Amino acid sequence: MGAPLLEIENLRTYFYSPGKQAFVRAVDGVTLAIARGETLGVVGESGSGKSVTALSSMGLISAGPGVISGTIAFRGDEGERHLLQGLEDYVTLHERDGRIMEVSKDETGWQAHVERVMAPVRGKGIAMIFQNPRSALNPFVTVGHQITEAIRLHTPTKDPRDAKARALDWLERVKMDSPRLRFDNYPYGLSGGMCQRAMIAMALSSEPSLLIADEPTTGLDATIQSKIVGLLAELKSEYKIATMLISHDIRVISRLADNVAVMYGGTVVEYGPAPDVLAARFNPKHPYTAALLASIPSAQNVRDHGDLSAVEGEVPDAIDVPRGCRFYARCNRVTDDIRNTCARQEPELREVAPGHRVRCWLYGE
Amino acid sequence: MSRTILEVVDLKKHYRQRAGIFAALQWRERFIPAVDGVSFYLKEHETVGLVGESGCGKTTIGRTILRLTPVTSGRIVFDGHDVTAMSTRELRPLRSQMQMIFQDLDAALNPKMRVRDVLREAIITHHRLGDGEVTRRTHELLEQVNLKKSKLSSFPRELSGGEKRRVGIARALAVGAHFIVADEPTSALDVSIQAQVVNLLRDLQRQLGLSYLFISHDLEVVQLVSHKVAVMYLGKIVEMGLANRIARAARHPYTHILWSALVEKKSREAVPVSARTGAWGVFDFERPTSGCRFAPRCAVYEARGRPAVCTDAATEPLLREIGGGHYVACHFPL
Amino acid sequence: MKHYVQVASEAGESSDRPVWKDADTLDLAYVGYGLLIVTLVLVSYVLGAFKWLPYDPEYIRVDLLNAPPGSAGHLLGTDFLGRDILSRLIVSIQAYFLPGLIAIVISLVLGTGLGTAAAYRGGKVEVLVTYFNNLVDSFPRLVLILLVIAAFKPDIYYIMVVVGVTGVPVCASLVAGKIRFLRQKNFIEAAHVLGLPTHVIVLKHILWHHCTPLLVIQATLGMGEAILIETSLSYLGFGVQEPTPSWGNMVQAGANYFFQGKFWPSTAPALAILSTILGFHLLGDGLNSILEGKRGT
Repeated sequence: MGAPLLEIENLRTYFYSPGKQAFVRAVDGVTLAIARGETLGVVGESGSGKSVTALSSMGLISAGPGVISGTIAFRGDEGERHLLQGLEDYVTLHERDGRIMEVSKDETGWQAHVERVMAPVRGKGIAMIFQNPRSALNPFVTVGHQITEAIRLHTPTKDPRDAKARALDWLERVKMDSPRLRFDNYPYGLSGGMCQRAMIAMALSSEPSLLIADEPTTGLDATIQSKIVGLLAELKSEYKIATMLISHDIRVISRLADNVAVMYGGTVVEYGPAPDVLAARFNPKHPYTAALLASIPSAQNVRDHGDLSAVEGEVPDAIDVPRGCRFYARCNRVTDDIRNTCARQEPELREVAPGHRVRCWLYGE
Repeated sequence: MSRTILEVVDLKKHYRQRAGIFAALQWRERFIPAVDGVSFYLKEHETVGLVGESGCGKTTIGRTILRLTPVTSGRIVFDGHDVTAMSTRELRPLRSQMQMIFQDLDAALNPKMRVRDVLREAIITHHRLGDGEVTRRTHELLEQVNLKKSKLSSFPRELSGGEKRRVGIARALAVGAHFIVADEPTSALDVSIQAQVVNLLRDLQRQLGLSYLFISHDLEVVQLVSHKVAVMYLGKIVEMGLANRIARAARHPYTHILWSALVEKKSREAVPVSARTGAWGVFDFERPTSGCRFAPRCAVYEARGRPAVCTDAATEPLLREIGGGHYVACHFPL
Repeated sequence: MKHYVQVASEAGESSDRPVWKDADTLDLAYVGYGLLIVTLVLVSYVLGAFKWLPYDPEYIRVDLLNAPPGSAGHLLGTDFLGRDILSRLIVSIQAYFLPGLIAIVISLVLGTGLGTAAAYRGGKVEVLVTYFNNLVDSFPRLVLILLVIAAFKPDIYYIMVVVGVTGVPVCASLVAGKIRFLRQKNFIEAAHVLGLPTHVIVLKHILWHHCTPLLVIQATLGMGEAILIETSLSYLGFGVQEPTPSWGNMVQAGANYFFQGKFWPSTAPALAILSTILGFHLLGDGLNSILEGKRGT
């Protein structure tokens, strides 16, 4: 297979809360890789850093200090690019007691640099679809025109008439009903599901090497959700486009993903082939993933556990990041042997089975 | 035999819509039927689940029961009182018995009030208590919803989603309500927190003998927490029955679609074509088809060669019992 | 180059920081200056009310006409009748302070009432309030004041009633706008479900919790406005009449001597007007961006 298409290594994206005078450690050392043709599911709760990871790789973080360290390698059709190249020249970090406590960053300089680096990548190399398609589409331009523009901008097709034909073609491929009619519709005239289809058509029409889908089904009705998921599955088998699929909904992830990264509190806690990670009985497994799977409201779970087995405690706070394992406070599988280690020291992401890595002291040396 | 505490009879709520200048000139107004003749009842200590897609009128039903929205016609009898016929003043004492949990996490929380004041206000609205009593009751409530005492002096913006939801529940309990309309109580929460809240609601029901009207778009959750489930489609109940019958032996094609949507999302195998939904179309409220509202999306209707009985205005399918307290509104139940 | 520092090594529990800690320095400076002016005005008002003044403001010294500042113990000099300017400046506050307060109370009380009724009741009430607002707004304020003066007498209290009433529409629409915004938030609805009587919801949840900053800001701006109207009318001779001092008629009287090189009799009250009105407006502005801008809901 060769080197992966997208390789994120040790990415850190911080924000700053002036009220608490503390860093919001939104993404705190994330390492991911997506091979060509692979769909990577990134699953996690709100605040786990999954969306920020995606936005960081697109260079779309505008709040300060933003991306502060890490590397992102993208090997698209035009050769290898390092999306965070030269970051060290703009950022100075100071650590105290092993964590970053001071950041100086030339934000305007970095922003200008990012725009230069990302301009040829965005849309053409990496395309993105968003959670709320209606707000991601321009309300004053017809759907068809927006897709046509994207095609003319990102693909060799420059002739307006050819581009229009291709746009129509894409609307058909995403199973938009009566595409010719919808072509001239403004986004407000379309339902949420149709807007999402238009968004997907627009993202794919520029023939990107990588598609980032950030919560593509959230906020849609159940029946529409299942159709969008079905469409994504069909597109996946048809075009073999590499996808980073971000969702809080394990059901969506399990349908589409080849590999799954489970995120918790700004880091990846479990990473591996989807069938293994999402199988309730697969062992070894991170306690968080296990608890998450058990808390899905389903008849199966109620049969297995009597009641819904909830993950106790609250979704972690990205400001007050614990010293040890981030899940320690909510973990129900801590044993006395490792309790001290769990509380004090953060575990590494360790390979426990071929291609399956877990960040937990249960599977330490 | 437990008694019936809520009875909704032929509830209708039509929203008025002015349809542009031209129609206004002709004094013609259009009515959008959000709820179109819904009847059901709720027994003490029971949970009835209302499930359906957005725009099916399930939230409107919850709101009309608490008189947040006036009804167009029909009766809502709560504990022997017809809520629709009462004045605002007469209704006030009744509010100590029925409460609502809003979908919006911030709903119950005035952003400028601390948790302590929110609960205090709820406690003394219907019961004149001394300060000591109020404090005791506050702590009791915190314990019931499993919230730390340290959160009492927090402002809503300092709480997490799960904590806000707990305060909202505590507030509903504070007035002494024994019937709660829970409008999508989990949809704004994270997966791991959703289960906590669902369990909390079930525990409270066991401890305090609460009754819930549980409104949600998620059939799986509804089916788990409810004794009885009513499936709504475009303002009407299309199927109603005991939860496990809806789960295992649903008869209406729409309920089947809702289930297959869940399954389809989960399973990696393709779902058999027969179970798939028909047309893509989204229903247009303003032009209701005659006869069965579900016909345009119905696979059975297609499979049977579009029988006229389904689309004839005179033969709109009515909710009828098919045994065992299971009702379905379909000419050709599966 | 931007610099971020986390102070505590473990970020603490949610801190209840006072608003001014996160405020803009400029806004704080505005508020500081405004508060200084307000204090000066209040102190002067008390001094004037008890006649604790360096000189009798109406005592005429024929030997010291238009004496420059500092001469013979007159800190700011004397005017064309030899009266002490500082004392007259202080006493002038009597001319607008109480009337100004009355104007503010009228516009705030009426405005809040009408605004709340319009936004909360809606329907016909809202239409009526809108008509009232448009009616009041369509009269130029000064013309209305002159009409009242012509019909009754040039009394500052009559004028201030007019100022108060013409201030109602602004206040009403602000309050109504705020309430309409709040009503979209569900907590008002939730308060109804709780069974709270409507007046409690309006007074406590809406006005007390969410409109106090707005009203304080409106009051501050209203005071600035009242001073401006009083002084300009007094300057024109319609407001406070000689020999009672007012900054407006002091400027007017002093202006005759300005080009004779005796600038102080008019400059001192003019500067007083400028700094006071500026003070009230900056206070309102600063409070607005601190209380309503970033942290407000």
